[in-house]
Amino acid sequence: MPTINLNGAQKNYGVNSANAVSDLDLEIGDGEFMCLLGPSGCGKTTTLRMIAGLENLSGGEIRIGEKVVDSVQEGVFVPPEKREMGLVFQSYALWPHMTIERNTDFGLRLRKLPKAEREARVEQVMQALDIAKYRDRYPSQLSGGQQQRVALARMLAVNPGVLLLDEPLSNLDARLRLEMRAELKRIHKEFKTTIVFVTHDQWEAMTLATTIAVMNNGTLQQMGTPNEIYDRPANRFVAEFVGSPPINILDLDTADMTNVAREAAVFLSARQPSLKGIGAIGLRPEAIGYTDDKVQIPSDSFSGEMIVTGVLPTGGSWILELRSDNNTLFLTTSVLPRVELGTKTHFYAETGALHVFDKAGRRIAEADSLLRDAAIN
Amino acid sequence: MALFSEATKASPASGGTRQPTAWQGWRYRAKVASREPTTLIGVLTALLFTYLIAVPIVSIVLDAVRVQFGHERRLGKDIGDLTSYYLDRVFMSPVSVDLFWRPLFNTLTVAVGAILLSLVIGGILAWLISRTDMFGRRWFATALIVPYMLPAWTFALAWTTLFKNRTVGGQPGWFEATGFTPPDWVAYGRFPITIILALHYTPFVLLLFGSALRRFDSQLEDSARILGARRYQVALKIILPLMRPALLSSMVLIFAKCLGEFGVPYVLGLPVKFEVLSTSLFRSIASRQTGVAGVVAASIMIIGIITLIIDARLVREARRFVTVGSKGSMNRQNRLGKMRLPATVFAAAIFVLSVGLPLVTLFLSTVMKMPARFTLDNFTLDYWIGTNLNTVALQTGVLLSPDLWSAAKNTLTIVGLASLTSGILGLLVGYVVIRTPVRALSIYLRQVTFLPYLVPGIAFAAAYLSLFAVPRGPMPALYGTVTILVLALIADQMPYASRAGISAMTQLGKEPEEAAQIAGAGWLRRMILIVIPIQKGSLVTGVLLPFISGIKGLSLFVILAVPSTDVLTTYSLRLVDYHYTQAANAVVLMIATIAYLGTLAAQKLTKTNLAEGLGS
Repeated sequence: MPTINLNGAQKNYGVNSANAVSDLDLEIGDGEFMCLLGPSGCGKTTTLRMIAGLENLSGGEIRIGEKVVDSVQEGVFVPPEKREMGLVFQSYALWPHMTIERNTDFGLRLRKLPKAEREARVEQVMQALDIAKYRDRYPSQLSGGQQQRVALARMLAVNPGVLLLDEPLSNLDARLRLEMRAELKRIHKEFKTTIVFVTHDQWEAMTLATTIAVMNNGTLQQMGTPNEIYDRPANRFVAEFVGSPPINILDLDTADMTNVAREAAVFLSARQPSLKGIGAIGLRPEAIGYTDDKVQIPSDSFSGEMIVTGVLPTGGSWILELRSDNNTLFLTTSVLPRVELGTKTHFYAETGALHVFDKAGRRIAEADSLLRDAAIN
Repeated sequence: MALFSEATKASPASGGTRQPTAWQGWRYRAKVASREPTTLIGVLTALLFTYLIAVPIVSIVLDAVRVQFGHERRLGKDIGDLTSYYLDRVFMSPVSVDLFWRPLFNTLTVAVGAILLSLVIGGILAWLISRTDMFGRRWFATALIVPYMLPAWTFALAWTTLFKNRTVGGQPGWFEATGFTPPDWVAYGRFPITIILALHYTPFVLLLFGSALRRFDSQLEDSARILGARRYQVALKIILPLMRPALLSSMVLIFAKCLGEFGVPYVLGLPVKFEVLSTSLFRSIASRQTGVAGVVAASIMIIGIITLIIDARLVREARRFVTVGSKGSMNRQNRLGKMRLPATVFAAAIFVLSVGLPLVTLFLSTVMKMPARFTLDNFTLDYWIGTNLNTVALQTGVLLSPDLWSAAKNTLTIVGLASLTSGILGLLVGYVVIRTPVRALSIYLRQVTFLPYLVPGIAFAAAYLSLFAVPRGPMPALYGTVTILVLALIADQMPYASRAGISAMTQLGKEPEEAAQIAGAGWLRRMILIVIPIQKGSLVTGVLLPFISGIKGLSLFVILAVPSTDVLTTYSLRLVDYHYTQAANAVVLMIATIAYLGTLAAQKLTKTNLAEGLGS
């Protein structure tokens, strides 16, 4: 399957409404497992439906390989039924009047394959997804997880080059979700399909995707591997959206700047006077350490003194809430904290762990190298 | 690494050079729209309904302000010239009191009386059925809906059978026959009409108010209780305000229905010259006062439209605080205690009054020679299957009369054809409205098919008469043909048919069809393999419900039918006019039976609540 390209793809519902998707450039390579990640209403499902051809563009174009399948400027529109893709809906959308077998067989029948071949293929897919025993049942007689597998089988039967999944796991309970996640990974390997997956669940995106595209307000925020997204968020939105508990943001660009933020600003300008226009500093909770003994703070760390106001066990790890005046910091630790609520403690973070954003919220990329160099010196 | 910095672009809407021109956008949308027959079907149906619905209405409004045949000499103008003569005549002249103002007053008072009475009865019954431990709640829930399944004037005929006095000739009523003469105000006019309409429309209140009560989230009630509210405070401060939309909505619907009601005031009002707007309109049409009829019909339409606009407002308001579907909406029952038996007796009494008594009366009247004489030799089956009877006309029992069978055949063909067509058109309209990418088309179709709902049947029939009575363009004069009845019926039933279609398509959602599309199915295949099989049930209801309402419908036929195109309803009305009371009652009983069984069948088939078929 060739790559899929979105060039300046745009969608608005009605002349006066805001763009659901604006000016989106996206490249989905062959065999990728790409996640479109973002809060609800960010345009990720619309993007998926545009790729499938179920949603018309308001501007821009979509290419599959060299072939333009959708373009406002060129007046081209290839209907969904001719795009040879698979799409699993959030609601599964199984046909209620057909048995599981007929549901799975539908696409093959349309392609007028010989009966023997069809039967073999349906059998293979149903076996692979472990639904063969329900072949004569109707969708309403299956549980959510089973329906979900039928919806997958139905699309996999025709062996589409691209499989589009619209929040397929959101209707499942926690355990099934875990199982299906593993299942999806296996399918991706076994059927060698390109998968585009829409989710608002960062955990899902992190564990499944080879590439994540983070979206917000109809625009692409960042595209990269899960690690890139987490370790080097391109802007404050990505930094704050990905990670749980969320990243601590020290806002320097505000009238009521907190003391910790002010200290951070002083710390940074002492390290790297050449860094200008800093708007905010981000600190991941797990990158923050704490100690009662000031001596134990590693050299060249940003540190300060705060009061422990909360210890929240999360099963195997703990979240600590620290406060001083109007500042709050969260940090996580995997060692049972032996602290008294209300006592003072020192927090610290190594220079390399600081995420620096400019006043518009973009990551200052040069800060990464500068700070790392500074740390080495 | 692919980092994008688009996140903070000031205005993401301005795509710069990549923004398509208006022409490109239009061309693309046209391409998308023309790819499937959806839009083409939409345009065709839109044209059809413009002709069948919008044009007749415009035509009758024009009739009201243009010189009609026969008045050109008096007005000194040519036929078709603009004139305010008819407006003047209906609203200002000395005869305006008889033509419009008194009928309007009568309509309003009857409607208000019927509304108040049905609200009281229906409200109590709804509460008893949905919120108490009254005996036989399940049974009453269905049984008390029955009056609505029967034609309203069934009750009018039953009433005359009982209370008819010497004011009118023909066979006397039962009371008269036993020596007690009911006064005119009991036998005819405002009082019986109000009572009958109230009983007939009580099911409205029962359904709307009852379903609102059932869906009421009892957590809302519990919260108030926990905060220390007493029972009556909960009822007054929590339940009643939340029920207000349902109450108002049923009031408005009943009013709209009363406005167009023809059969009941015709049967019970005529003997004492008690006129409502619909009978006044009928009289104008019968006496060929086309211009005046136009004005009256337009007035009825305007009142109807205003009422339903108010209703639409209320519904929209109601949506703001829907209390549906939360898991707390379990049914909390009030224990009636000592009142349990009296409450059950009350419900039973209403059932007897609104169903049992009228039907039994009607039936007995068809098997008794002399009214109200319950001796064995007084019973006869002559009125049903007798032969060589000693009467001027109709010398056989009604079942042996060829007129009945030709009316039955007419009914089946006319109503059957019309409901089949409107059911299919309704599904098509639903499909187009939900699916077409052309929004204007969707909105127009939705509105034009809804239009007849705003227009009481009798006014709509007048509109058809105005348009199709004379040849226009390629269209020959249709008056007196089966065609005009079928066309008018289709148009009249489109609101229900299209609403059923739209709601069915909405419920289906687009995903099953999209899934088929993704799997490679083109439009026709999707229709045949996915949409129609899934919508089978609602297609059947979409045909059946209009069929039932057509069978018992009177106002449309009474204006458009002629003896050769008699249907069961007009046939029985004709029998009433000729004072063949027993035969008329027999025919009405047959209609009622068909309507009742049909409704039951529709309910069974679709497993839906009747509330959805409301108003049909």
